[in-house]
Formats: sequence, structure tokens, C-alpha cells
Amino acid sequence: MNGSHRARPDRATAAATAAALLMALALAMIFFYVPTDVSEGYSQRIFYFHVPIALTTYFLFTWGAVNGARFLLKRDMSLDLKSYVPMHLGVIFGSLTLVTGSIWANIAWGTWWFWGDTQLTTFLIIFLFNCAYFMLRFSIEPGERRATFSAVYAVLGVGLIPLSVIGVHVAQTNDLIHPITFNENGANMDGSMFLTFLVALAAMITLSVTMYLIELRGKRIDDRLRAIRRLAGGEA
Amino acid sequence: MIDEFAVKSVAAVYGLAWVVTLAYIGILNAKMGRMERQLDEIAALMEHRAASDA
Repeated sequence: MNGSHRARPDRATAAATAAALLMALALAMIFFYVPTDVSEGYSQRIFYFHVPIALTTYFLFTWGAVNGARFLLKRDMSLDLKSYVPMHLGVIFGSLTLVTGSIWANIAWGTWWFWGDTQLTTFLIIFLFNCAYFMLRFSIEPGERRATFSAVYAVLGVGLIPLSVIGVHVAQTNDLIHPITFNENGANMDGSMFLTFLVALAAMITLSVTMYLIELRGKRIDDRLRAIRRLAGGEA
Repeated sequence: MIDEFAVKSVAAVYGLAWVVTLAYIGILNAKMGRMERQLDEIAALMEHRAASDA
């Protein structure tokens, strides 16, 4: 061992600390700082968690696609894992988006789901498309072929996100019942609400980064354990 | 006056987010338990091999 070796700063611990602080600040702002919305009432506070969770889902799918594209260029197998983990977390955050959105819809529209809403339907399509990523991935033997197919699928999936955003804004004139957070004039809310939203978004993205770092570390340790077990003569 | 149904809905959303996060931590804990067992198996294998060589 190198005696002068310094302990590397643990990125997961730093991210977890930042996520905890930001989450505490976000919750304090949501329940004690931001005023109650005049038109929607108290239930509008769902927005400060629901929309950041939805945007974090897009962020994670994009991150998975970027690492997938990097894998296709560099053929580095570590990038396959760095593409898989955000896709997995994206599905968790996507599920949460759908459930929290349904709770909001139940109070705002009196129904859990409305097929006529473009934003809901396009989000569901993106979510289901990315769920199918796992069906594809686990139907192929581990190795470079699986990594290549998974990366191509992740890159194709991210293309649906801008299509969804364009679709929602094109459809605005026809079936606008879903509140639009951002339009061509910027944020569709007052200053304190926007500040609270930004803090909640930062908290959610930091939480997702923390989960990414921890899950990635767990999977790397698992891979190394399998390799050591093979070398030791046990079954992998 | 605050609508009771609205409060319950808000609590459901925020509670659900925490339940999912805690469930995720629980799954990670289960995975770590599995890795710990694998480490024990490897240690036993190495001990067995050392005893055979001796």
C-alpha cells in the first residue's frame, strides 16, 4: 500500500448530503414559504414534487442515452453500466410521475386518468418505450452485443422526449387542460413559486444523482465479486 | 379554509415519494446482504483451498 495515499472524496456521500439539505429546504419552502395558489388551492403544492420528478425522469433517460451514445463511439463496457443505471432509475422516477400525476388529476379533474390529455399520453408512451428497454436488454446474453442493442435503444428512446414536448405545445390549442409549466414567455408562475420549484428540482436531480452513484457502485462491486468467485474456483 | 381532500392528496404524493425512496434503500440493503454472503462464500473457498494445499 502506498503510505501517502489520500482517501478520495466520496462522491456518493457528498451527493447524499447535498440531496438531504436541498430536500429539507424544498419541503420547508413548499409548506412554509410559498403562498397557496389562488385558482387551484392547496392541492397545487403537488406540483412542486410532481413536475421535478417528471423532469428528473427526462434527465435520467437523456443521461442513459448520452452514455449509450458514448458506448457506441468508444466501445467501453463501463459506459454500458453507466447507461443502464440511469435507465433503471428513470423507470422508477417515471412510475412515481404517473402515480403522483394521477393523484393530482383525481383532485383537479375528478378522474385518475384522462386519455384526451396529450401530455399524459405522450409521457406514458415514453415511459412504456423505456420500460421495454429492460425486456430487450435481458433477452440478450451479457456482453458487447447486449450493450450495443441496449445503447441503440436508449438513444432511440431519448428522441421521443423532444417529440413529446413539441406535441404538447402543438396540441395546446385543442385540448389544453394540463397546466403548462413553461411556455414561450418563460416560467408560467410567480417569483416565489418559481424559486420553490427550482429548489425542488435541484433536490430531486441531486437525489437521482445520489441513487445513480450508489447503484453504480453496488453493481461494480457485484461484478468484481463474481470475477473473484470465478478465480477462486466457485461458480459465478 | 383548507380543503381536507386537498391536504390528503398532497400528503399522499409526498408520502409516496418517501416510501419509494425508502423501498429503494431497502432493496439496496438486500443487495448488500447478498454481496456479503458471496464474500463469506469466497472466504470459505479460499480457506478450504489453503487447508487442501497445506
